[in-house]
Amino acid sequence: MSRRILLIAAVAALAALPLTFGAFWINMVITALIFSLAVFSINLLTGLTGLLSFGQAGFVGIGAYTLGVMAKQGTPPLLAGLYGVLLAMLCGFLLGLPAARLKGHYLAIGTLGFGILIYQLLTNSVDITRGPMGLIGIPTGGIDKQTWYLVMLCVCLAVLAALAYIDRYSSLGVILKMVRHDEIAAQASGINIFAVKLIAFTVSAGFAGLSGVLFAAYVRFLTPDLFNEQESFRYMMMAVVGGIGSPLGGFAASLILTMIPEGLRALGEDNYRLLVYGTMVLFVLWFLPSGIGGLIERQRR
Amino acid sequence: MSVLELSGVSKRFGGLQALSEISLSVSSGEVLGLIGPNGAGKSTLVSCITGVLRIDGGAIRFGDRDIHALPPHQRARRGIARTFQKVRLADQLTVYENVAAGLASQWFGRANGWMIAFRPLSAPAVAQAVNRTLEQVGLGDVSGAIVRSLPFGRRHFVEIARALVSEPGLLLLDEPATGLTERERERLAALVKSIAAEGCAQILVEHDLELVGRLCHRVIVINQGHHVFTGTPAAAQTEPEVVRAYLGMNQLIGGGADDARR
Repeated sequence: MSRRILLIAAVAALAALPLTFGAFWINMVITALIFSLAVFSINLLTGLTGLLSFGQAGFVGIGAYTLGVMAKQGTPPLLAGLYGVLLAMLCGFLLGLPAARLKGHYLAIGTLGFGILIYQLLTNSVDITRGPMGLIGIPTGGIDKQTWYLVMLCVCLAVLAALAYIDRYSSLGVILKMVRHDEIAAQASGINIFAVKLIAFTVSAGFAGLSGVLFAAYVRFLTPDLFNEQESFRYMMMAVVGGIGSPLGGFAASLILTMIPEGLRALGEDNYRLLVYGTMVLFVLWFLPSGIGGLIERQRR
Repeated sequence: MSVLELSGVSKRFGGLQALSEISLSVSSGEVLGLIGPNGAGKSTLVSCITGVLRIDGGAIRFGDRDIHALPPHQRARRGIARTFQKVRLADQLTVYENVAAGLASQWFGRANGWMIAFRPLSAPAVAQAVNRTLEQVGLGDVSGAIVRSLPFGRRHFVEIARALVSEPGLLLLDEPATGLTERERERLAALVKSIAAEGCAQILVEHDLELVGRLCHRVIVINQGHHVFTGTPAAAQTEPEVVRAYLGMNQLIGGGADDARR
């Protein structure tokens, strides 16, 4: 009961935050919430189903650029956003066809290759994406930051609740975890592991695509560099610091890890802040190998 | 009526003929012992039946269908369940969750399976089957325990429960008595008999020949991939071919053979 009160208080505090924040911080929190959707997509794929992906930024990019390009050509933004999510899911499905047969390192390299491929496509298809010149002035304006913040908060909490339900209480969660833990035993229990992995890839790509769509709609300016493999690693790092397989931890980590480097700008514009940041991450993983999620789990017991 | 029927099953790994022309059949309610010295091909045969390995020749009929081309999960959905020589459980999940995973073969065997999978784990349709099976195998008291916290012997029973929960037509037990205490071994023997009484066909791969003699209606002996003998446990011990293949077995295969004939 006290946990429920705590939860409600936390959500209320989150909803009231922008009243006290300056424009700079609201901006950042909204971006962090958008990123957290990509981190959720990793949690679903890697945390629940045990599939390592270093190409999530590719799906984010597909979602973002679909919205950007189509909205600039006159498609209503909502419809363009829907296409963005669907195209990301289609790409997730197509990548899953070969990738669901790969394991461990091979899967990591395969998905990394996919991410680089998408980055190269975005950079070099100058006719469509304007390449490195960037896509400017995506017509999705007219929503103020307060509304953006509340919408993003609702979307993220809904996804968080859905993932937590699947993880802890649903029969589906057990099936996904069986696939992660022991494929041979899963098959012997009648689970089609190829189909489960393919669906995990598709749904995960959909969440990453949604993250991209929202990013493009919010920032209204895109360059391919926002979706290179470094971004994929950043999402993976957020998922790991959050505790792989813990949606709540991943959510917290994407907020914290977006804000810390910005807060560290107080140290000056030199790259020293990145050194401090990297050291902090290392220490977190040293003392909390199962991430923030592990810490939450320990409190709960 | 025979549930599973293998005729002329062969399997080759490169230059090694792992199984040649193996034929066997199991009827509902029957316990068939599968024995042979180490490297005889017992595990290969189990893998061929469950579909982990594809056979190179022969036929495997389950019910009224040839299943030799089906992948493992589809065979499981048709009602072939198994346990493993080395226990394969998700050991950070609870006993209940592990057993519930065994219901997947039922969920996906039906057209609306995915809908069922979205239901909570505590839904009556899931809880009823899982709890009944846990009681049957004697794990009712540890339903909420994490598998890792259980003694090794009891984990075998979690695996049996996971296999049983989907009410299979055939249960393959791959060396279930390994590492069991004397009491657990007796518990296992009683369980195998009660499963047989419910009409489930069973194949028991086991090195504990006393147990085999006591529980099995018939035994099939293989050696170096070849069929050596099929018959009652009592007849096996007087068969010279068996004794030659499996030196010392005639002394080990036990006094319990009379039980099997009942």
